[in-house]
Amino acid sequence: MKGQKRKFPPEDVEVSDRSSLTWESQRQFVFSVSLSKYQRGQELPEPSLRRSVLIANTLRQISLEASGAASVEASPGSSPSELPAEEEESVFTGVPSARHQPAEAVINGHSALSTGSMVSSGYSSNCVTTAISSILSALDSTIDGSPQAAPRTPLRSLENLSRSPEGSAAWVKQGVRGYGGGSWEPQEECRVRDSNVEVMWSSYLSDLTVEDLFQDIDTSLLERDMGVLGLRGSGGGFPAGEDLLRYLPPFSPASHPFSLSLNQNLKCLPSFSSFSPMSSSSSSSSSLSLPPSSLFSGHNHAREGLDLEHLMEILVES
Amino acid sequence: MLGRMEAAARMWHVGMTSSLHIRVLTLIVDAICPPPRRAALCDRAVGLCVQPELLNEAMAGVAGGNDFQWCFSQVKGAIDEDVAEADIISTVEFNYSGELLATGDKGGRVVIFQHEQESKNRPHLRGEYNVYSTFQSHEPEFDYLKSLEIEEKINKIRWLPQQNAAHFLLSTNDKTIKLWKISERDKRAEGYNLKDEDGRLRDPFRISSLRVPVLMPMDLMVEASPRRIFANAHTYHINSISVNSDHETYLSADDLRINLWHLEITDRSFNIVDIKPANMEELTEVITAAECHPNQCNVFVYSSSKGTIRLCDMRAAALCDRHSKFFEEPEDPSSRSFFSEIISSISDVKFSHSGRYMMTRDYLSVKVWDLNMENRPVETYQVHEYLRSKLCSLYENDCIFDKFECCWNGSDSAIMTGSYNNFFRMFDRNTRRDITLEASRESSKPRATLKPRKVSTGGKRKKDEISVDSLDFNKKILHTAWHPKDNVIAVAATNNLYIFQDKIN
Repeated sequence: MKGQKRKFPPEDVEVSDRSSLTWESQRQFVFSVSLSKYQRGQELPEPSLRRSVLIANTLRQISLEASGAASVEASPGSSPSELPAEEEESVFTGVPSARHQPAEAVINGHSALSTGSMVSSGYSSNCVTTAISSILSALDSTIDGSPQAAPRTPLRSLENLSRSPEGSAAWVKQGVRGYGGGSWEPQEECRVRDSNVEVMWSSYLSDLTVEDLFQDIDTSLLERDMGVLGLRGSGGGFPAGEDLLRYLPPFSPASHPFSLSLNQNLKCLPSFSSFSPMSSSSSSSSSLSLPPSSLFSGHNHAREGLDLEHLMEILVES
Repeated sequence: MLGRMEAAARMWHVGMTSSLHIRVLTLIVDAICPPPRRAALCDRAVGLCVQPELLNEAMAGVAGGNDFQWCFSQVKGAIDEDVAEADIISTVEFNYSGELLATGDKGGRVVIFQHEQESKNRPHLRGEYNVYSTFQSHEPEFDYLKSLEIEEKINKIRWLPQQNAAHFLLSTNDKTIKLWKISERDKRAEGYNLKDEDGRLRDPFRISSLRVPVLMPMDLMVEASPRRIFANAHTYHINSISVNSDHETYLSADDLRINLWHLEITDRSFNIVDIKPANMEELTEVITAAECHPNQCNVFVYSSSKGTIRLCDMRAAALCDRHSKFFEEPEDPSSRSFFSEIISSISDVKFSHSGRYMMTRDYLSVKVWDLNMENRPVETYQVHEYLRSKLCSLYENDCIFDKFECCWNGSDSAIMTGSYNNFFRMFDRNTRRDITLEASRESSKPRATLKPRKVSTGGKRKKDEISVDSLDFNKKILHTAWHPKDNVIAVAATNNLYIFQDKIN
């Protein structure tokens, strides 16, 4: 404590007046400190459960107080301030899920971080970049960020895919569960992440669906390959675009800067020529035993049908 | 105990006969005085009975804390400034008689000190504690399934009541509990018939006569051997172990579960509390400490990170998820802050020796609860209230997550807990007086009396006071122990163990 300089020194005296600026700045300071603490804690190989729970509860309390305070302020300029509160809440539902297992929160942490930056830097101009980073952090699964959990049967993930009424959210639900090198999430964690991601989606991307993003992908290739491999999933009846995205493999932990992760993620969209046609009579189960490396080898091949620059333009213009 | 004393005090009035005075005084002294000193104090109190107003003075002088003085006795551990992480003491515990004092450290070692008898020519000094046994209790392990290293740090040591010549203790790290037997060997058999002195078998043809081994005295050797290993029962980190009053079972608690073990059975344990939610997303509270009742073998308590304590009765159900009593103090709305929940998290819970009360330690205070009253504590003591305005900084530097322990003295009349800057605090429950002392090398002259310390909160700092901003938050006293019978305390300051005694007048 001696001689430490803080970048954003808060008043040490607790300010009880909620409408004052000092309270607000204090609240934001505590929020950002809590967030970084939480993330750093999750990055440890074995986060302390008590500590994570306490920090998460503090974050939740701050978010709730923020939304309470925001609704009280009935000023014309209040809509931007309300939005960060909503985002904090919605983001925050993402936070507790990852508490209990090592290294799972970065996915939520990323989106939360981006929201944090939204809170402090204002909303309007950062909207799109934030939306992008949240999409990509959703793709950027850290499930296998640290080796953990018992190996699950490879069948499990695909078995759990269900027909999804929600459009865009389903994409992420399926996409996030990729083939991993033996590092499956237990089922409850999948559900948890899904619901968090759905919440994130609903608040950020109401007018931007996944279909829009991937409209220019030529899925004809996929359909052919899919037919060959007999990979129509157990549920059947998926729209083709979502099938494509089902096979997004998991990604390495996100320590990449924004642009790099964008490239990485888009590269990892499977290039379907890399699916070596197994025996056409193969059942779903045997085709699922495709080693992950076959997907990753598509990594370096041309991203057929995918123009990175074009995609970026679409995102930026919308 | 408090009730008895008050009742006795109320009985006192000047018109009583002197024999009645004596009986009342004895009752009072009995209630507040540790056994070894009762006789002497009784005499003193009786001598005062002609002036009943002096009775208070007599009472005040007895209870551990203030009117007698604490003085330095010993310090164990290395002096140099560079502290090896492995040497940091992580737990301190006296055994039931107080003869042995065990410490565990982050390197997985256990060191046991034994009390030497007072020497005849210096009766004013209590005996000293000297090293009795040192052994490596836990080694670092690697969990291959999760690719995680399991720390060897000893989280808790608990002694078993002594039943024969050997001593037994339980020591635990994050995942595994071990029962250690510490036994003395002071005789050796010599003159084996079939073996040489160095153990080699003798040539049978050389053996011409029979000789029976004779037990010869040897230098005392203290051996520690692991007798039971209780493993693989905890998914989360073990924070507490507690031996039951039946001396057959004990409980171990981690963040979400509490297990009941039999000391003889290592491959099975019963889960008696499980607060893990079906959906981990809903987890908002963890178990922070647990303890068995000292007299009732069916009762135990556990504390949570939300500042609540649950008392459970094992007779009610196999799984004690529903508490029998729920202790929680309503929050004071005026002191609410962002950190209210964190500072309410209970870091330690201890029953009084009598079993009537329990004490909980949260970040800023110690609370004494009457087991018969659930809605608020009967006593609250502020340990370092001056930190309340610094919570934001303490949150930043993680000090707010420090887990301080607390302990009772043998007669339950005083309580002790640690603070920062190597300060520790003692509270006398009868006189309501408190004292702050420091465990430092500077005040470590033999039999030097400890000077009370004070932290200045206002602008003006008096001489000898220390300001809040000058406190060293890296020097924290998390672990303290009080001798079960005498006024001897052991205070762990990072890698040093300080032993203080009261000055016998």
